[in-house]
Amino acid sequence: MSGDSFKFGQDDIAFKQDLGDIALERYRAGKIDRRSALAMLGALGLVPLLGDKALANAKELVLVNWGGKAKDVLQEIMGDTYAKEAGIKVVVDGAGPSAGKIRAMVESGAVVWDVCDSGPGSAIILGERGITQPIDYSIVDKANIIEPFTWEFGCANYFYSYTLCCNPTMLEAVPQNWADVWNVKDFPGKRTFRKSVRGMLEPAAMAMGAAPSEVYEFLGDEAGIKAAIEKFREIREHIIVWPSGSMSQQLFLQKEVAIGCIWSTRAHLLKDEMPDGSFTTTFNQGVLSPGAWVVPKHNPAGTEQAMRFIAHTADPELQVKWLEAMGPGPANPAAAALVPDDLKAWNPSSPENRATQTVYNDAWYAKNQVWAEELYVDALIN
Amino acid sequence: MIARSLTDKGRYWILILPALAIMLTFYIWPLVEIFGISFSEPKPGFENYVSMFDSRPIRTSFVITFRVAAITTIWCLVLGYIVSYAIYNTAPRYVGLMIALVLLPFWLSVLIRSFAWIVLLGRSGVVNDSLGAVGLINEPLPLMHNEFGVILSMVHVMLPFAILPIMANMKGISRAYVDAARGLGASELRAFVSVYFPQTLPGVLSAALLVFVLALGFYITPALLGGGRVLMISEYITYQIQELLNWGVGTSLSVALLLATAAVILAAGRFVNLRRTLLERR
Repeated sequence: MSGDSFKFGQDDIAFKQDLGDIALERYRAGKIDRRSALAMLGALGLVPLLGDKALANAKELVLVNWGGKAKDVLQEIMGDTYAKEAGIKVVVDGAGPSAGKIRAMVESGAVVWDVCDSGPGSAIILGERGITQPIDYSIVDKANIIEPFTWEFGCANYFYSYTLCCNPTMLEAVPQNWADVWNVKDFPGKRTFRKSVRGMLEPAAMAMGAAPSEVYEFLGDEAGIKAAIEKFREIREHIIVWPSGSMSQQLFLQKEVAIGCIWSTRAHLLKDEMPDGSFTTTFNQGVLSPGAWVVPKHNPAGTEQAMRFIAHTADPELQVKWLEAMGPGPANPAAAALVPDDLKAWNPSSPENRATQTVYNDAWYAKNQVWAEELYVDALIN
Repeated sequence: MIARSLTDKGRYWILILPALAIMLTFYIWPLVEIFGISFSEPKPGFENYVSMFDSRPIRTSFVITFRVAAITTIWCLVLGYIVSYAIYNTAPRYVGLMIALVLLPFWLSVLIRSFAWIVLLGRSGVVNDSLGAVGLINEPLPLMHNEFGVILSMVHVMLPFAILPIMANMKGISRAYVDAARGLGASELRAFVSVYFPQTLPGVLSAALLVFVLALGFYITPALLGGGRVLMISEYITYQIQELLNWGVGTSLSVALLLATAAVILAAGRFVNLRRTLLERR
């Protein structure tokens, strides 16, 4: 009745859907090759998902992501290239493979998905419950995925971050870290934070002096969480929240906010949309978050085919294309060097940028999100 | 054949049957489910309701909801009264045009109107830019992402709901009473306060009830113009269900809002003719 009863495995669905919206904007801006009208209709949900499902058979590989235009980007960059290489048709389905849906599919015995764009939290819980297959690391080379983002039942497919962004034209000085963001006296102006608590308490903890590597230790007990929450109460008068990725972008575009903690994929768009010199991002003290490929049990195309596809997606050149198209950071450590110079600063997973970030901790959210969420809302409205 | 054997009453029932079936299937039944979920997720019992009363943000959200609805209602009544009065008591030639202007915004969706306010009220919006250009302000005024913006836009959306009942009421009032009062020596103000205004009171009360009840359930406007800190209950419900998949709390909040609204209507029933206000309007 409640959709995903799989709370622990719940990844940030909102982000994944947002990636779809981002691709759509890029398409409008002419940065993504023209696709057929049918693909557009698919992105709008006008082509029934059943169409994709009905087609599923062993002669093709069904790749599932979160829809929107990201579906077409994935098809073009990863799907079509694999089809050429392996001689198997790749169909991208934008149905949104939440942990609950994958479980329902596997338990009903009618599996039509081969490879799913999930997250580490779901990957772990789905694997533990015997719903997904272990990644075959004899086919998927661990060296092609940034350490330590390989798990028994999933491996990283791309990265995104919560980053500190600002509009220097609205400020006298550019904030360098979260402590600056909380310093409303020297850095006056509105700030935007996410409406949900995800990715937000980490900056507050770092503003109080926790090093990126110690953030979750700081937030490890009730006192730490409450302190981070109080940090938000302190500056609540200066906060406008963003309920969606596109909203965070709008707030910067309309100069409603001077500073913000937003997704790096949205920052990737803003850097091109804002006038020169009026938008900067730093990955200093960012919160790095990976997506993950998972393979449901009894997938129609077979284990080997799915693993080969995953190995294919780790190709560094394709990963760079992905970054150029819509902003997710490459999962392959070899890709960072291939990123064009003007994009290097915007790559959330480059070694330089990773070094200064903390890594989003799914286990922490599984344990604390619900009650932290309530405190967070309270801090913003009370 | 069958129809002939039915009484008139029976035939009416057959006529409304499709509508009734649709209501039952798509409105009443889901509502019953909502009640059900609120008592059964995540486990059976009153747990959701207890945690609802314990939760400070939820209490605050209810306070915000009622405060915003009340302020919106007051402004709508004041402005709506003036507009209605002007329509019926000043320029009879323009009555048709003025009523059309009142109704016009109804054809635009609330979403569009809220976005229009964003364009007007933003930091670099029309209002701030103009004021800045004339030199009246140095810093943009905080016109939205706060309660002010939410209420301004809600008053705009709700105004026709205040104007229509007041207008309908004023339409039935004969000029003769005020003229008689004036003839007996009452001042313009006195005639208005003692003679005209009391006659319009039923219209004002129905307008108040209508606007207040509709405002309680408002969602889009506060979500777009509130900046996250004017969190009304409807938005909180969405948040619980979409972000937290917390159907138990989300549905119990819906039930609480429904009951609160029902309580308001029942209380109002003591002062307002509900049948006329809600059922036979316009």
